[in-house]
Amino acid sequence: MAEPGSFSPAGPERPSSGPAYLWRLHRILALYIVGVVGFLALMTWAEYQGLSRHWIGPIFLFLTVMVYAGIGVYGRTTDPEEYYVAGRRIPPLYNGMAAAADWMSAASFISLSGALYLQGFSGTPEQAGGLAYLLGWTGGFCLVAMLIAPHLRAMGLYTVPEFFHVRFGGRWPRVIAALAAVLCSFTYVVAQIYGVGLIASRLTGVQFEIGIMLGLGGVLLCSFLGGMRAITWTQVAQYVVLLLAFLIPVSWLAYKQLGNPLAPLVYGEQISKIAGLEAQLLDSPAEYQVVQTYLRRAQDYEARLTDVEGALEREREKGRERIRALRAQGADVGLIVSASRDLAALPRDAATARERWTREMRENYERARPLGGLPRHSQAYAGDPHGTPEEQRDYDLTRRNFLALMFCLMVGTAGLPHLLTRYYTSPTVLGARASVAWSLFFIALLYLSAPALAVLVKFEVMQNLVGSSFDQLPNWMAQWARVDSSLLSVEDVNGDGIVQFGEIRLGADLIMLATPELGGLPYVVSGLVAAGGLAAALSTADGLLLTISNAMVRDLYFSDAQRKASPEQRVILTKFTLLAVALSAAFVAALKPSEILPMVSASFSLAASAFVPAMVLGIFWRGTTREGAVAGMLVGLGVTVYYMLSHVFALRALLPPWLLADGLWFGIQPISAGVFGVPAGAVVAIVVSWITRPAPELPRIRSEM
Amino acid sequence: MPQPPRPIDAEKAGPFPPDLHDVRHLRLKAGLLLLWALVSFVATYFARDLEFLVVAGWPLGYWIAAQGAVVVFIGIVVAYGWAMNRFERQDAERAASAAAGEADRRHG
Repeated sequence: MAEPGSFSPAGPERPSSGPAYLWRLHRILALYIVGVVGFLALMTWAEYQGLSRHWIGPIFLFLTVMVYAGIGVYGRTTDPEEYYVAGRRIPPLYNGMAAAADWMSAASFISLSGALYLQGFSGTPEQAGGLAYLLGWTGGFCLVAMLIAPHLRAMGLYTVPEFFHVRFGGRWPRVIAALAAVLCSFTYVVAQIYGVGLIASRLTGVQFEIGIMLGLGGVLLCSFLGGMRAITWTQVAQYVVLLLAFLIPVSWLAYKQLGNPLAPLVYGEQISKIAGLEAQLLDSPAEYQVVQTYLRRAQDYEARLTDVEGALEREREKGRERIRALRAQGADVGLIVSASRDLAALPRDAATARERWTREMRENYERARPLGGLPRHSQAYAGDPHGTPEEQRDYDLTRRNFLALMFCLMVGTAGLPHLLTRYYTSPTVLGARASVAWSLFFIALLYLSAPALAVLVKFEVMQNLVGSSFDQLPNWMAQWARVDSSLLSVEDVNGDGIVQFGEIRLGADLIMLATPELGGLPYVVSGLVAAGGLAAALSTADGLLLTISNAMVRDLYFSDAQRKASPEQRVILTKFTLLAVALSAAFVAALKPSEILPMVSASFSLAASAFVPAMVLGIFWRGTTREGAVAGMLVGLGVTVYYMLSHVFALRALLPPWLLADGLWFGIQPISAGVFGVPAGAVVAIVVSWITRPAPELPRIRSEM
Repeated sequence: MPQPPRPIDAEKAGPFPPDLHDVRHLRLKAGLLLLWALVSFVATYFARDLEFLVVAGWPLGYWIAAQGAVVVFIGIVVAYGWAMNRFERQDAERAASAAAGEADRRHG
């Protein structure tokens, strides 16, 4: 965030290896970090001097995006080696940083602590999560390091689908892999752009859709001109911002609550305190009232659902009656207007009414549970292994879904193309192994703090927010509630004027962004956190867009040998494809399809089942044939997509029931569909390879790869 | 380290089967993967049973999932890189001494 030119990648004329090159990079990085910290100090001073909050957010947003864009423009290139794999000379330390930024998406930065806050250890039987995300997104690197990255690097490729072409030959393995890469990366990139829109609209107060467009401009400036080379160095810059943005509020909260800023080491103490507070809340009569109110509301909706037509008519009549009564009294115009607005907001037909009321009923039932439906924070798995049959079933289902989700995320890590291409940029195979280790280290710096943040925030909420009066609710709550009411809602349900735990509802995507305000930090830290979230979303979106456009141009369009084009023309075509993909992703994100985490998890399941079985078999088993790989990929992907789609509410109504999966298989949630797709793909690949095996040939021996 | 003789433009290469993997490498991978599965899947499977063990203020089941496992993952990746580099160095030395022995024989 110093002047944009201060962090510049090595130009092609510079020496590209050796200690001089490395020292130059270290020097630039150090200068950049000093610049960022200096800028923060400057902003803090300015805020202290009375700089308005209306300016701080936009300044952070604008300056950081300009720095990334500056690096992107400086790194512009049309050389294919530079555009696709950054010249294969990124030292492991920097490659690790770039991979970490690439990896930590809006889901990690914005939603992970929120998910840990809401789900505790493992989530509920209906929605497993919690620490499964943390373990899945780190443990997968063991697979990447040992089974995949060095082997792919040794082959000297440019894209991941290319592996399938080089290893198996023919057209289809590559085409299928490219389509799968586009599918899972597109799901992923939509979630990132959604995150960008969320942050931009909060920071600058513009509409969500305009926020998306602003963020998109930043993404395009980075990746459009310079491809992998520009992305690598912007990602390094973004990593520094996002790490600081995460660690500063966590350390601050830890210092405030425990007197020690090293949050991951000390937050254990708060875990037992939270367990104590949870026990108190479970006994509190006010909390019980809240639960009863939600239960009544849910039952009301349930009653309406037994006769949707009649209930809708009754509601309409009630609304009309109310307007008539107000008119008769000669009441205030405002009241009459709001009453007619309520009437107009009623569902238009029985089908919409049924859908909306079902959702409302479910939400109210969820909130009608103790602790607002949140599981106890440190308790592993819901239910009780020695309790009633109901509790035993809950325990078993939660544990099974937890392990399944973890499996999908780990295996998905090993298959996500945008991560794997990062290791193509390292100079040697040895460098690729070191890069994976550095990536995991840089990721762990943040991931070890995420559960700490969740615990500290929960303590803050339970200790300070609960029991305060509704008249004194802090300002930021109203501001966030205005962005999107699903992010935050507080309602005095039992009408006692005091905030109960069950009355607060925080969305997973909110908790990190609101942490500084919750902890009473200066507003500058809020700006920094938002800038960090933006950096996380932008860095991942960059990598994903590049992967998608490369797959479309290199693997789909030019995989046909008849199409002749110079390498420069290919690069230009890739750039324009990237533009088109970015715009369509923004369009989908503007429809607000779902929360960030579910979308991201879905793309992990897709990547896991499409790529990993065929790739690992292709690397480690010489007997894998082209037919086997194709069959394995198709079956794996097919099973996963089928299981996911047959649980989408909108599709269930459209398709005939015999086409859909019969309920949940083994009680596994559709988000972890990869747990069926991966084994199915592996088994099919092995069986088909064995059937189509060619005559044996003589082996060659070499040490590795 | 030995770079495989791949053409610069990998697209132009025909299909090829992977080279056979060194047994030492496979053993190393198997061992580390076993450890990986132990800390991630086995430890979390029994997390509820480990909850009652409180070590230094931490419920053990929670600590393993929130921190311990991640630290072990880093250890695994670092150990793998270190061991592979060692294997490759040994191979290079052996190849060098074999080449030197060959040269001696020819001169002698």
